Amino acid sequence: MDIAFLTIAELNRAYARRELSPVEVTRALLDRIAQHDGKLDSFIRVTEEVALAEAKTAEAELMAGNRRGPMHGIPYGLKDIVETAGIPTTGHSKLRQHHVPQQDAEIVRRLKAGGGVLMGKLATWEFANGGPSFDLPWPPARNPWDRERLPGGSSSGPGAALAAGFLPAAIGTDTGGSIRGPAAACGIAGLKPTYGRVSRRGVFPNTFTMDHIGPMTRSAEDISLMLQVIAGYDPADPGSEDCPVPDYAASLGQGVRGMRLGLVEGWHDALGAHPDLGPAIAKAVSVLRSLGATVELVKLSSLRDYTDCKTTISIAELYTIHEQDLRTRPQDFGRILRNRVLPGALIRAEDYQAALRWRTALTREQHAAFRQFDALITAGARGIADPAKPDNPDRLVTAPSITMPFSVSGVPALAIPCGFSREEGMPLSLQIAAAPFQETTVLRVAHAYQQATDWHRRHPKLGE
Amino acid sequence: MRNDLSHLPPATPDDIRAMVARAGITLSEEHMQQFIATWPQFEAMVRRIPRGFGYADEPAHTFRPTRLA
Repeated sequence: MDIAFLTIAELNRAYARRELSPVEVTRALLDRIAQHDGKLDSFIRVTEEVALAEAKTAEAELMAGNRRGPMHGIPYGLKDIVETAGIPTTGHSKLRQHHVPQQDAEIVRRLKAGGGVLMGKLATWEFANGGPSFDLPWPPARNPWDRERLPGGSSSGPGAALAAGFLPAAIGTDTGGSIRGPAAACGIAGLKPTYGRVSRRGVFPNTFTMDHIGPMTRSAEDISLMLQVIAGYDPADPGSEDCPVPDYAASLGQGVRGMRLGLVEGWHDALGAHPDLGPAIAKAVSVLRSLGATVELVKLSSLRDYTDCKTTISIAELYTIHEQDLRTRPQDFGRILRNRVLPGALIRAEDYQAALRWRTALTREQHAAFRQFDALITAGARGIADPAKPDNPDRLVTAPSITMPFSVSGVPALAIPCGFSREEGMPLSLQIAAAPFQETTVLRVAHAYQQATDWHRRHPKLGE
Repeated sequence: MRNDLSHLPPATPDDIRAMVARAGITLSEEHMQQFIATWPQFEAMVRRIPRGFGYADEPAHTFRPTRLA
């Protein structure tokens, strides 16, 4: 049994049968991290003592028959913008290099209550925005499928650590695609839940009205298990929605027979997409049809429109977060973050308001589509992982994003692997989105697809 | 026909310096040059935002006082 690539569901079953223990699993993963992460830099800080203590507690509770839930005894990592009491939370930035929070973020409180095992704090683009950067106190994470490539961002550490078999679960954040992008680049699963589904309290902000916290794992089934523990109303988060949390795993196996899926025209097949992406998406559509879903084309506004709207809102809100530091210590920002924050100083109030009014129109356009379709499908990324070069052009301004449409609308969207590029051998990704709070629908489609394919069971070799 | 501001001429380097100064930010010349190279791409995005919405077309997040009670 290769512990490195066991899923949360498999670990739960192994714990129940007493075939493995949380301490055994934690030690094995810590050893693997020690052996290989020097080549990948997915961790900023490994919390070995915390992990072993939490694993021992979980083991004792499980042995006594006191199971807290699906994350009990499961190792996980946190993107390093998620606050952890007594453990530095840096944002991968010189600006917060020595910041030690007093309190846990709400999601950390929930994961601790659920018996999770914190393995460490993971690399991110600077404050989940500026990257990939090579001028920060820590190097950027690398992609386990090819170390000369990046793992996407901004949840770069979670993506790399999951693909490398260091962890079965991690928390990422997604404002414009920062969970789904790394999931696509690394061949794993990443869910941006509905805006307001998971508390943002204690997570460093990026764009107040578009910040989402979500699970990153290696399968859709595992997404459902982790989401179960972190989802729910938090009255201290003004964006949190007070609506019931369903049993996400309960409907996973219902399949897609009779479901209506809309394949968005002109997104994954627009100019600039990787040549292997179109055939991979077409094959995924064939699989879903063979499972009983109907798939029809649907037309929405262009990626350019969604990207312009999202970026204008984001830079205005981002500036308000960093204004004080930018006035007093601009030299301490990484180059990319500084040049992404500065535009917010030049945005006029009427530009921001116009973008917000457009956001209403674009979101309504998607709601109209969700009245016709149970879910929308497209690619999780338009290309493969970028080469790790310090002078790469800034993706934010050079190409429209295929993840931003669902950031604008705040609906749940999940990226899962759907193939590999022929020449480079890098993961390709399918993205599934549904109406607000229809995470169950997204997960049903993804799980059905993963039951019929094995892309999510392929893993990179780390030179073992 | 779409009503946006993309017909306006791009800001000049002097315009950009003036806007940054008006925002109260002081940059080294190296950082200013980096930003002068970056801003036009953001400016183009902002100017493509459509204008001329109807009076009843509200922003995506409206003020909801009960949320703050």
